[in-house]
Amino acid sequence: MAATSDTSADIEEHEDVWVFVEQHDGEVANVTWELLSKGRDLADERGENLVALVMGENIDETDIPEQCIARGADKVLIADDPVFEPYRSDPYGEQFRHLVETHKPAIALIGGTHTGRDFAGRVAVPTHAGLTADCTELEMEDGRYEMRRPAFGGDALATIICPEHRPQMSTVRPGVFPAAEPDADRDGEIEEVEVVVDEADTMTEVLEREVGDVADITDADVVVAGGMGAEGDFEPLWELADLLDGEVAATRDAVEEGWIEPARQVGQTGKTVRPKLYIAAGISGAIQHLEGMDDSETVIAINTDPNAPIFDNADYGIVGDLHEVIPELIEYFQENEEAIPA
Amino acid sequence: MTDGWNIVVCVKQVPDADDVSIDPETGRLNRSDAEAVMNAPDYNAVEAALELRDEVGGTVTALSMGPPNADAVLRVAVGMGADDGVLLSDPAFGGSDTWPTSLALARAAEELDADVVFGGEETTDSSTGQVPPGIAAHNGWAQLTYVEELESRPEEDKLVAKRDVEGGYERVAAELPVVVAMGFGENDPRPAGLHRKIYAETDFEPETWTAEDLGIEDEVGLAVSPTQVGGMDTADPVPREQEVVDETDELAEQIAEVL
Ligand SMILES: Cc1cc2nc3c(=O)[nH]c(=O)nc-3n(C[C@H](O)[C@H](O)[C@H](O)COP(=O)(O)OP(=O)(O)OC[C@H]3O[C@@H](n4cnc5c(N)ncnc54)[C@H](O)[C@@H]3O)c2cc1C
Ligand SMILES: Cc1cc2nc3c(=O)[nH]c(=O)nc-3n(C[C@H](O)[C@H](O)[C@H](O)COP(=O)(O)OP(=O)(O)OC[C@H]3O[C@@H](n4cnc5c(N)ncnc54)[C@H](O)[C@@H]3O)c2cc1C
Repeated sequence: MAATSDTSADIEEHEDVWVFVEQHDGEVANVTWELLSKGRDLADERGENLVALVMGENIDETDIPEQCIARGADKVLIADDPVFEPYRSDPYGEQFRHLVETHKPAIALIGGTHTGRDFAGRVAVPTHAGLTADCTELEMEDGRYEMRRPAFGGDALATIICPEHRPQMSTVRPGVFPAAEPDADRDGEIEEVEVVVDEADTMTEVLEREVGDVADITDADVVVAGGMGAEGDFEPLWELADLLDGEVAATRDAVEEGWIEPARQVGQTGKTVRPKLYIAAGISGAIQHLEGMDDSETVIAINTDPNAPIFDNADYGIVGDLHEVIPELIEYFQENEEAIPA
Repeated sequence: MTDGWNIVVCVKQVPDADDVSIDPETGRLNRSDAEAVMNAPDYNAVEAALELRDEVGGTVTALSMGPPNADAVLRVAVGMGADDGVLLSDPAFGGSDTWPTSLALARAAEELDADVVFGGEETTDSSTGQVPPGIAAHNGWAQLTYVEELESRPEEDKLVAKRDVEGGYERVAAELPVVVAMGFGENDPRPAGLHRKIYAETDFEPETWTAEDLGIEDEVGLAVSPTQVGGMDTADPVPREQEVVDETDELAEQIAEVL
């Protein structure tokens, strides 16, 4: 049974802002850079260091530590061992507990990906940390760390505080915060930490991993998104996105149908996007979907149902079949190429 | 284990997501009159638990922590085919965040001598997804989250899961006991059989356990919860033009304007 180390007694001893660097086979998940950028602001405001935590195998053969420093970290902690590749919750959890006990961070930021949420939920327990899920705002208010997160499917915004426990942990979905540009001139310290986990103590074994290129829809200026109304045919959406130099996205239901890859899902359990233009085609406008695209500058809706909630959440809409409307849009922009900025 | 596995499935009562709405007049959150239902992703958890029982034998016990009327979600699970149900109900649990919530469920799972504990991906009300990994961590058990498919290996006391990870999937073998969080929508939950449903709603009475029964009366509730809800605001609806046009060309011109 995992023992519990209650840290509430020594809050004062805890300092620094940590970011969990999510990496697989040397590839760092983008959300890590977004967290380093947000973590930098928090660390500056608190007058503390920003620490990047990397676990994996042969990290010294990658430029991950240097990249973390260029992206804002003052210090990089590396736990390097074959037991950490690929990710598994049990060895990662044990190692994290040890690091928290020995280094005592005040705040820890973790990406709200499947890996990050699997990790965060596991490690918050033995450290008796407060863990706030899916934060969309992280602020220091009068010296107090305040985490804001949507609840009830996005209808409400809750402010969560963690007054008596450290670290104060937060997960953040990809795309919520912008990533800062790397600055190769920044200085930082790199420290290898003691590995306290042994393969013999693990309870899990990764038998197989099939991972391809992960699409990144969070930086696109134009997003053409489809839902169940696409009825299995995303081809017109791809064509329009291509023409407008945008990315294709989808609702969770369309992803579950297997019409499009999961990395393109927008919403509460997917990505957050805030493009200049979001075209929602055949999407009803469920609250869990809106949560991931409501900050888009302009929203366009195409839906056969005039009462679909998406129309209340769109700037311009048309009642119609997307398989007619989108080809007409494609035709319009093919004829009016000057309407598309180079 | 010739007599199969002890399977526990965690189900939570939540306000019906379709009833939680923003009042268009006041802009306020309307959830007081929302009906209490079983968390939608938990149907997938129950289905997975029943499928596993069909495969390896054993029993499925539904487990819920909540107010006395949360027995309704246990009845849903029993109606679908769960063998039994246990309700963790005690004013002492009030205000628990995910840390004590997962502790209570973890202790109950131990008490039930669980081999596999199922949960949903996340809830539709506070949607942290932290409870299943929390249960595993409290008990020092393996965890498998975002699960798409399961394969049982009773001869090895192992469960193998296909997990959804960024950009693909992985297959992970875990030693029992293990906590599984099923991905939402990954299976087709069976409807309740008529006779089972009648039994669930009439004769079936869940056992109720208190914090003291679990020996955790000092470790649950608001006071020991590391996180606290410091305030709640209605999310302001983003102001939109809400203009519906008749012709695709008009729509195209609006798009061109943005570009
Ligand atoms: C815990 C949880 C998390 C979730 N997370 C997410 C998430 O991250 N992202 C997400 O998107 N959803 C999420 N959902 C699901 C969400 O609640 C909705 O079910 C989903 O967004 C609906 O997808 P949809 O709009 O594609 O389908 P539907 O609601 O079925 O809507 C289809 C729309 O297409 C229209 N239509 C049909 N035919 C046509 C046509 N030919 N042309 C034009 N329009 C047409 C219909 O009028 C309808 O409005 C989550 C749900 C839960 C419970
Ligand atoms: C607005 C608001 C925001 C909150 N934010 C946080 C936060 O960020 N961090 C935090 O630690 N706590 C938070 N809480 C407290 C949290 O809601 C409770 O601890 C809650 O009972 C469990 O969390 P969940 O609903 O997110 O469960 P999840 O982890 O999303 O649930 C996943 C699965 O675990 C099982 N499960 C969860 N709860 C129960 C239960 N009571 N009985 C049986 N099975 C269950 C179900 O199978 C469920 O599908 C918040 C509460 C509110 C009201």
